[in-house]
Formats: sequence, structure tokens, C-alpha cells
Amino acid sequence: MKIILYRIGVLVALVLIWWFFSTIVERQLIPSPLATFHAAERLIAEGRLSTALLDTLTIYIGGYGAAILIGIPLGLLMGTARTLGKTLDIFIYALSATPRVAFIPLIIVFLGLGASAKTFIVFLGAVMPILINAYAGALNSDEDLVEMARSVGASKSRIFREIVLPGALPFAITGLRIGATIGLINTVVAELYTAVRGLGGLLAIYGNTFRMAEYFVIVFTLAFIGVLVTTALRLLEMRLERWRGNGA
Amino acid sequence: MRSDAAGGSAPKSPIPTSPIIEMKGVSKGFGGGSGERVAALQDINLELTEGTFTAILGPSGCGKTTLLRLIDGLVQPDAGTVRVAGHPPRPGPEMGFVFQSFRLIPWRTVRGNVEFALVEAIADPAERRRRADRYIERVGLSRFADAYPRQLSGGMKQRAALARALACEPEILLLDEPFASLDAQTRELMQVELMRLWSERKSLAVFVTHSVDEAIFLADQIVLMGPRPGRILEVIDVNLTRPRWSYDVRAEPRFAELRQYLWERIRALVLADPQSDFYGRDEVQSVSTGS
Ligand SMILES: Nc1ncnc2c1ncn2[C@@H]1O[C@H](COP(=O)(O)OP(=O)(O)OP(=O)(O)O)[C@@H](O)[C@H]1O
Ligand SMILES: [Mg+2]
Repeated sequence: MKIILYRIGVLVALVLIWWFFSTIVERQLIPSPLATFHAAERLIAEGRLSTALLDTLTIYIGGYGAAILIGIPLGLLMGTARTLGKTLDIFIYALSATPRVAFIPLIIVFLGLGASAKTFIVFLGAVMPILINAYAGALNSDEDLVEMARSVGASKSRIFREIVLPGALPFAITGLRIGATIGLINTVVAELYTAVRGLGGLLAIYGNTFRMAEYFVIVFTLAFIGVLVTTALRLLEMRLERWRGNGA
Repeated sequence: MRSDAAGGSAPKSPIPTSPIIEMKGVSKGFGGGSGERVAALQDINLELTEGTFTAILGPSGCGKTTLLRLIDGLVQPDAGTVRVAGHPPRPGPEMGFVFQSFRLIPWRTVRGNVEFALVEAIADPAERRRRADRYIERVGLSRFADAYPRQLSGGMKQRAALARALACEPEILLLDEPFASLDAQTRELMQVELMRLWSERKSLAVFVTHSVDEAIFLADQIVLMGPRPGRILEVIDVNLTRPRWSYDVRAEPRFAELRQYLWERIRALVLADPQSDFYGRDEVQSVSTGS
């Protein structure tokens, strides 16, 4: 409970600092908090914000969802079928070390500038951490517990469901969290590099025309999405890991 | 899935005195690949008959755990054969295993952990729960049936692990130092409780321990093992009247005699083992007290 009060305190301090700088920086490069608030009201009233938000969320959820649907099962499979995992992991690591921006021209050539290209860019960014963490989680399964389960005669599938899977969960959720952030970043990157639309598109327009109040509204909206998704994931983790108690 | 192992259908051996567990020339090593392969067990020959309680006694690293894992069918021997009721062993609810390090599932409660072992044996969840609760009660953990392992003390974890192995009501009970982390009082209570359970069902028990006293108190026969390579040195019959909780066994001359003998042998083994931390400390006087 206390932590919420502290957080509000920090928030107030940040707004004050922001306001202070908005008064000393010239040419209104930093809009005042009040101007930003008015800009937000305008953007909402005109429906621009909601249209852009919808665009962005569609891309984001599509790409992130696909990354989850492919990354988690593939990671678990690689961690369970060890030979397959050992064979493939070096390629996965190589791919994840390559800056994903490098693929954008190629993706545009194949998928164009529309929603599918954007979704794919998001997918490509989010899938790597999700896959790698699910893989690590399955690899990390407790050998002693697996042997115990074998000794009571549990089938392979029951061992997977009841020992390996729950053991991999904390890793998998870490992957989901990193994937969520990278996915959001890639959504904006995709909107900047392909057809300029969504929140990323507005960011480009307002940035290039120095409409800083509107620009700030978009930045805050993106930050808000990030907070929302990570908080949801943390709540999910707390629900699934209740056995750890409050300590974790 | 499991065709012959489910209990009733497996034919019992025709001659009642024939061994249930039979090990012939069994060797097992670990490692290999790039490193040196360590022989954990070498040329083990052992026959255990129905209804006997066997204690395995020996210094650390002489392959006691490995021996149990071989009997349970969790690992395969490099050489020789292991037979349980005439067949190569297969892990399952007919054999209960109490592991040295508890091996409780951290995200399941005590009851959940016990029920985990019963899924193969009992299809009905309500019946499974009743069975789990009965054995949780017998190890004195009823108040903690809904607790998670992290909320338990070491001794309580050990009793939970014991309940899990007992709940299957196995024909063969394999126990790897199951009382090592209990305090002296709980340990004695659990020893008697185990004796009672075992004598009710007359299952076959193989009990690994470091405690000479515990081995003598519990077992019909004591298998003395030596290290590097792990091997059986001697099998000793205990020959003390049962039930042993009805009189003061420790006051029997036979008890003192066995204790003295086993103590000396183990001490000699440790002092003669170049790998032991106490190698060559001959000046230490023989102390036959404590365990
Ligand atoms: N999975 C394994 N991998 C490699 N070496 C092993 C493995 N299991 C056992 N060993 C080795 O085999 C030998 C016997 O081990 P084991 O655990 O059976 O001994 P133990 O008699 O049970 O010892 P303790 O009394 O300390 O429990 C040891 O030298 C050990 O290092
Ligand atoms: Mg051991």
C-alpha cells in the first residue's frame, strides 16, 4: 500500500521537474504539462488518438500474439527434445543477435508496407526473447523432480504437464515481459519505416512539425500501453505462482 | 500402457522363498565421455526375499543411492542383471521410493504431493484424497496437509516424502536415508511407525542409513558396503525378536555386539579409504558410542 503513495510522490516530482524545464527551455521545445493536457483533450475529441491507438494495438496484439503462439511451444519443444534444441539453438541465438531493423527492407520487399509487414516486424522482435526464455525454462527443469515423477510411474506427458511446464513458467513469463516491450518498440519502428500510420505515424508527423504538445501525448500513450501490459503480466505471474507466497 | 505391472495380473513366483529382488553381477558407472568413468558399483550380487527388511550401511559415496535407483529401474546397469519379481524393474506405484533430498514439488501442497504419486494407482480423485490424508495423518502432518513445501521444516518435508511413498501401499519400499533430517525424538517415533506399517503389510523394504543403531533396530539383515568401487562386503543377520518396539532392544547383548562389530568395520573402512577426509588417522581411539 505504501508503495503506491511513494509512486504518486515520484510522479508528482517528475511532473514538477517537467514543468520546470518547460519554463526554461526556449522556443517551447518542451510543452508545459497543461499544454500537453489540452493537446490530449483535442486529440481525443477529434478522434485522432483513438484511431491511431486502434491501428497500433491491432498491429501490436497481432504480432505479439503470434510471437506467443509460436515462441512458447517451440521453446518448450526445443527444451524437451534436447537434440532438436541443441541443433537449433545456435541459429536462434544468431538471429536474435542480429538487429531486426536490418530485415525491414527485406520484409517490405516481400510483404509491402501494409499491416502484414508491420505485424511481421513486431512478431520478429517479440518472438526471440519469448522463445529463448521458454527454451531456458524447459532446459532448466528439475532433474530430481523428473526422476521422482518417473519413479511413481508418471507418463511422459504427465511429467511434462505437471513438472516441466510449471517449472518453466517463471522463465516463460520473463520472456513474455521482455517480448512485450520489444514488441511495442518494434510496433513504433514498423509504423515509422513502412506506411506511416498509428501512434508511430503521429509521432513522426508531430515531431517533424514541432507540435511538441501533441508529440508528448503520443509518447505518454505509448508508455501507458507498456505499463498496462507489463502490469497485466505481473498480475498473471502472481496468480500462477501463489505457492511462492508474498516473498517472490 | 502398463500391462503386467498393475499388480494382480503379474504372476507371483511359484516358490514363496524365491527372491523378489535379485541382482547378479551388477556394475554401474557414471561419467565417461570426455571425463573418467567412475565405477559407482562393481559386481553386486544380492538376493532379497519377500517380507524382509534390509538395511544398507556404508560410508558416503559407496553407491547406496545408485543401488536403490537400479532396483527401482530408474537407471540401467552397465553389466549384470536386476530382476524384480522375475522381471526387469520398471518404475511405478508397486515400488515406493523415498529420496534422500525429499524431492517435493514446490508448487503443490503436502496433500498435492502425496496425491501426485497416487494418480497411476487410484483413478477416483475423492478416493485418492482419502488415501493421501490417511498417510499424511500417519506421519503426523495432518495440520500441514494444505501447506506448501517451503513452509515446512526439513523434518516435516522428510515426513511428507515418506507419506508419498507409503501412500501407494507398495510391495517394495525403497528408502534412502529417510530419517536423516529428523530430530532424535521424531526419528524414534518414525522408526516405530515404519516398523508398524511394514509389519502390517509385510512388504519388502530396503533402507539406506548411516546410523548403525537405526540399521540394527529396523532390519532383519544388514548389507555392509564399501567404497571405491562400491561393493558389498558382508551381509549380516540381525536375529533380534520382533516386534522390537515392545521391549528395549537396545539393552540386548546381541544389539551391543552387532553395534560394536559394525562400528569397527565402518571405522576401518573410512580410515583405509585414501579418498576419505579421515584417511590414515589411526591415532583416533575407537569410540563405539553414539551413532
Ligand atoms: N548421476 C551421477 N552422475 C555422476 N556420478 C554419480 C551420479 N550418481 C552417483 N554418482 C557417483 O557414484 C558414486 C556413488 O554415488 P551414490 O549417490 O550412489 O552414493 P551413496 O552411497 O548414496 O552416498 P551418500 O551416502 O553420500 O548418499 C559417487 O562417487 C558419486 O559421485
Ligand atoms: Mg545416497
